[in-house]
Amino acid sequence: MAVHEALAAIIGWPPIWQVLIIGFIGSLVVSIFAVWFERKAAARVQRRLGPYWASPRLGGLLHLIADLARYAFQYPIIPRRVDVVPFLAAPIAGLIIALLPLAVIPFTSNPSYWPLPPAAMEYSLLIALAIATLPPIFIIAAGWASNNPFAVIGGVREAFIIVAYELIAILGFLGAAAAVGSFNLVEIVAAQEGFKWLILLNPIAFLAVFIAIVMSTSAFPFEIPESEAEVVAGPFTEYSGILYALNMGGAYMRRFVLAILTVLAFLGGWQPLTPGEGLLWGYILPSIVVVAKAVVIVLAISFLRAVYGRYRLDQALDMAWKILLPLALAGIALGLIEASIGVV
Amino acid sequence: MAPRVGLRSLEKRRTLIDGVRSNIHVLMLGVKYFVNPRRMTLVYPREYPKLSEGYRGFIILKKEKCISCAACARICPSAAMKMIRVQEPDPKHPGKAKMKQYPVINYQRCIFCGYCVDVCPTEALYHVNYHDIVYDNLADMFWDLETFQREPEYKTAAEGRPVRIVIHEELGLVKVPVEDKA
Ligand code: SF4
Ligand code: SF4
Repeated sequence: MAVHEALAAIIGWPPIWQVLIIGFIGSLVVSIFAVWFERKAAARVQRRLGPYWASPRLGGLLHLIADLARYAFQYPIIPRRVDVVPFLAAPIAGLIIALLPLAVIPFTSNPSYWPLPPAAMEYSLLIALAIATLPPIFIIAAGWASNNPFAVIGGVREAFIIVAYELIAILGFLGAAAAVGSFNLVEIVAAQEGFKWLILLNPIAFLAVFIAIVMSTSAFPFEIPESEAEVVAGPFTEYSGILYALNMGGAYMRRFVLAILTVLAFLGGWQPLTPGEGLLWGYILPSIVVVAKAVVIVLAISFLRAVYGRYRLDQALDMAWKILLPLALAGIALGLIEASIGVV
Repeated sequence: MAPRVGLRSLEKRRTLIDGVRSNIHVLMLGVKYFVNPRRMTLVYPREYPKLSEGYRGFIILKKEKCISCAACARICPSAAMKMIRVQEPDPKHPGKAKMKQYPVINYQRCIFCGYCVDVCPTEALYHVNYHDIVYDNLADMFWDLETFQREPEYKTAAEGRPVRIVIHEELGLVKVPVEDKA
């Protein structure tokens, strides 16, 4: 076997491909684009121009490349009084674990390109959700290790938010699972054949999941742990340079991964495409469809920055426990009703 | 008069329906502006605001009108204007020189308050209607007597398009292009 074939085999192996190519490179590109869109959309809505001068023809897209380069080459300062090992490990581990759900998410219905053996595929939604709930721990750890009052307050706020949104996200996804009667993402997508997408059948659960994603990745209006006006940069106050970029990028990557999960559970996954045989039709094209839908969700979340202010912590928790939790439960109930009368 | 006693009910608590409705309203408003943005940003060096005559911009001296009264230098609140002595040919005694005082200005200090222009008894000082001129070293901002009599070159006008900003009831600030008469 020639070297390039071996390389192609390794990269084409679904878990590697998904975590490295879709996960790392894809989400890097998506998050750069999302940040640009966020600034540009907010500027449009607020009657400004937004990023412009770096590349007037591209609408200032190169600003983001410049920002990235600045973060990459900035001197990362490690303050003397931080707890060094967790301080360094938290952003890196948080980023990697944020991408790990991609190692279990199927992007096609063709079994030869599933990342897990078919038996384990039965629980792919549960495994992915379980991994997806891990990264916030590292945000709290980052705040704790920073040994800075703002960072600690930010970390505690994150902890409050986690407790609220995690339940909602999981219950919301259970709404989809209850409707289909399976934790297998492939079956959930297959059940949405012919535009019976669960977003149409079960909009309540989708809304709960959407808001939970917004909360979990601290996008507006729930940008509470990092609110600059109150706690500088929250858990990331002491970070600089590439470590800060990892922390900030981690939120966008998590948003992207959760958006992919939402696409599979509610937006019909790779449909209207039907995966066929071979690498191109069986794997690459379906994954592009899924990623494209996920990008739409990420951009929709970015758009919220343009219109919302920031909620206070108590308002966000109030909304989470009093409105979203019943909403998510209603989503499960709706899913069960639909399953019993056989709509899905 | 006795204070009036009356019942005033508390503001009603916002219901869930109100919350949902206002959220949808704000999202629709955002989408409306996103689709049809009404930008107000002045793309500055490409467009510049055409300021009206009488704007308090840079100050220029008409030397022949100046009677060396030093009122301008005395009233200047930031001590930007100073009198200097120069030798001039004396018109009454041809062939002889005499000392005369003239003001010079230091634009590092000037706050463009316009007091000097107001106080000048002979209208020897006047404003031009622009102020956005960049100097790349501070020494250039001390104007000597020669510089003080010439209007500085307005580079922005050479590169940009003059606009006038008007307030519109619906659209907010609107930029209207104007023809540059200069
Ligand atoms: S404009 Fe005001 S600050 Fe400037 S020179 Fe005249 S009096 Fe002084
Ligand atoms: S106030 Fe007018 S006339 Fe008097 S010194 Fe100044 S410029 Fe000359």
